[in-house]
Amino acid sequence: MNLIRNNSKGCLIAESDEPSFDPPPATRTSALMVGSDIATHNSEQTDRVLTPPHYDVRQLVRLVQCLQCSKPFTAPVTLPCGHTVCRECLPSAEHRANISWPNTEDRQRGYTCPFPDCGTVHPTGECSVDVTLTKLIDKIRVEGSKATQLAGNHFMLLEEVPPRTQTTPIENRVFQYVGRTRELPGGRLVATFTMAEMGELGHASEVLYTSTSMTVEEEQVLDTNVRSCIQEAALKELDCLVCYNLMLDPTTTSCGHTFCRRCLARVLDHGNDCPICRRKLHIPPSLQDQPSNARLVAILNGLCPDLVAARVNALNLEEQSAESNLSTPIFICTLALPSMPTFLHIFEPRYRLMMRRCLEGNRQFGMVMYNQANHPQGDLGTTPFLEYGTLLEIVNFELLRDGRSFIETRGVGRFRIREHGMLDGYNIARVERVEDVSLTEEERMEAEETKDAQASAEGFQRQHPNTPLDPNLALNLKSTHELLTRCTSFVERMRSHSASWLSTRIVSVYGGPPNDPALFPYWFAAVLPIAEEEKYILLRTTSVRERLKLVDNWIRRIEGQPW
Amino acid sequence: MALPKRIIKETERLMAEPVPGISAVPHEDNLRYFDVHIHGPSQSPYEGGVFKLELFLPDDYPMTPPKIRFLTKIYHPNIDRLGRICLDVLKSNWSPALQIRTILLSIQALLGAPNPDDPLANDVAQRWKEDQNAAIETARQWTQEHAKP
Repeated sequence: MNLIRNNSKGCLIAESDEPSFDPPPATRTSALMVGSDIATHNSEQTDRVLTPPHYDVRQLVRLVQCLQCSKPFTAPVTLPCGHTVCRECLPSAEHRANISWPNTEDRQRGYTCPFPDCGTVHPTGECSVDVTLTKLIDKIRVEGSKATQLAGNHFMLLEEVPPRTQTTPIENRVFQYVGRTRELPGGRLVATFTMAEMGELGHASEVLYTSTSMTVEEEQVLDTNVRSCIQEAALKELDCLVCYNLMLDPTTTSCGHTFCRRCLARVLDHGNDCPICRRKLHIPPSLQDQPSNARLVAILNGLCPDLVAARVNALNLEEQSAESNLSTPIFICTLALPSMPTFLHIFEPRYRLMMRRCLEGNRQFGMVMYNQANHPQGDLGTTPFLEYGTLLEIVNFELLRDGRSFIETRGVGRFRIREHGMLDGYNIARVERVEDVSLTEEERMEAEETKDAQASAEGFQRQHPNTPLDPNLALNLKSTHELLTRCTSFVERMRSHSASWLSTRIVSVYGGPPNDPALFPYWFAAVLPIAEEEKYILLRTTSVRERLKLVDNWIRRIEGQPW
Repeated sequence: MALPKRIIKETERLMAEPVPGISAVPHEDNLRYFDVHIHGPSQSPYEGGVFKLELFLPDDYPMTPPKIRFLTKIYHPNIDRLGRICLDVLKSNWSPALQIRTILLSIQALLGAPNPDDPLANDVAQRWKEDQNAAIETARQWTQEHAKP
């Protein structure tokens, strides 16, 4: 009965300017092995067939090179957009304007993303060192220096070939593409890594190789060995710490820890702490807009494509057998709100059966309201129920002697019905989770809305200096923090006036007003005596600001009428 | 339902690199059910005793913690008469990054450091606070009586 997510299945391969991995066909021939561009231009020198450890040497090393400084990563940071740079390669942090919530220290400043296709300002609190990549590159360095020592007197001559087409802006921001030549110990793989480590091999450059002391066969043996040592060491770091499998579609948290996308989503179903460091994660639990760790995806595909493919296949088989389409039982009755209690009296036989099955299962079911006005419900057409609802979890169950029961539930999430059917008399549905946007998006919306409102308000007042502003414009002017303060002070005021709807009895059921602005509107709606149809709108909201604005509207109406 | 890879790997590692003083062996007919033996830590009243526990991995493990219970009678302020254990990592502080191994180590550590301020067995905890020496002596006697290797 899990909520079904938009993109929870399958392996997302990130699209970006991170290195992708397309090994040229193994049959391509060239006297001097180079990357794809150059190879075609030297194709007249076709005297030997390249074997697997050779054709992708340059690309393998590129997988661990920072796009900006071109060296193998040092303290890599995977940004919220999924790109990775060395910590040292990040620009200095700057102030983020027009943001009032959540006004925590680690979100007040941010880095302008150095990747031209992103360009957003990432809050410093979301730019932690990528733990998996750091360990992985440490391991590769260790293997690299071991291999250098083992290489003894074997040397390769490496000639850097800068790209003939233009490099991307980030690639030439600090690195000078001049075309250096170096003679370095080891086979191609180790020598290339060493050259990158020296800061003399540009990310976009190819390499021309000449062996100065080895036969082709010796060279290949050397490279094959190094490659398998690196692969073995790397695989130990590429297991997800939740499922103990090879990471599938690796997704990195703001604290720098990486899990399979679906493992992280499952973890977030149970709470929003990082499983490793327990820091709070402020991301929508379905991870819908959370990009994958592009660099790790590329490394996995480059280092062990066969293992990745096997993992995807195994997962597909597993999910086929496990998922049925209409898996959420639906109770059509009343408005329930997330994080708030809902009490139900179960007497209809079909719902008794449903509750029994729920209690045996995960104790969850969906609650939706009747569609009394017969309004069409999105793609569903006109249904007897409204399409948005609240997932409830049974916390207390009291069975009466005659088979009726009282149940106490608590809202654990919101959903939208995408498909529905019947099972033994009650409704069942395939639902999609409704959740808030990420904090970054929330902050962006606040900054944009308040800035636009500011501009309109100034324009309006220049023309009509003595007319009050339109209430909606005035509302948009307010920072999220001001909205929250207004809501809480209203509640305080009402309490001191002992408003009847805030009686002790009601507060004892629903608790006092929650401090979390994300949850406050649900509490307010639970205690406020207005029509349920109006409160229903809360279930469709996807941002904290949007909900606080709805509450503000209600308050304005209440203040306009006598009590 | 097939056994998840994680449980297979954890079991293999528990067998290949056992923790000193702790053993966990799955039942042949139910690979989610383990017989556990924990040696009482040295310099604790449980020293010399071998305690039997049962451990069960629920369907949604590792999203929810393993269920663990002492089978051997034990006199301890955080373990009740039914063998249930009061330990934060088995409840609200569980994280899927923890594992059978770390949980059993935490239980072994709990034997070495009883915490009467967060009791599960009230009578034992009270005694522990009022007359610690006598309580430790009782724990020692129970160990000799019930937890013989």
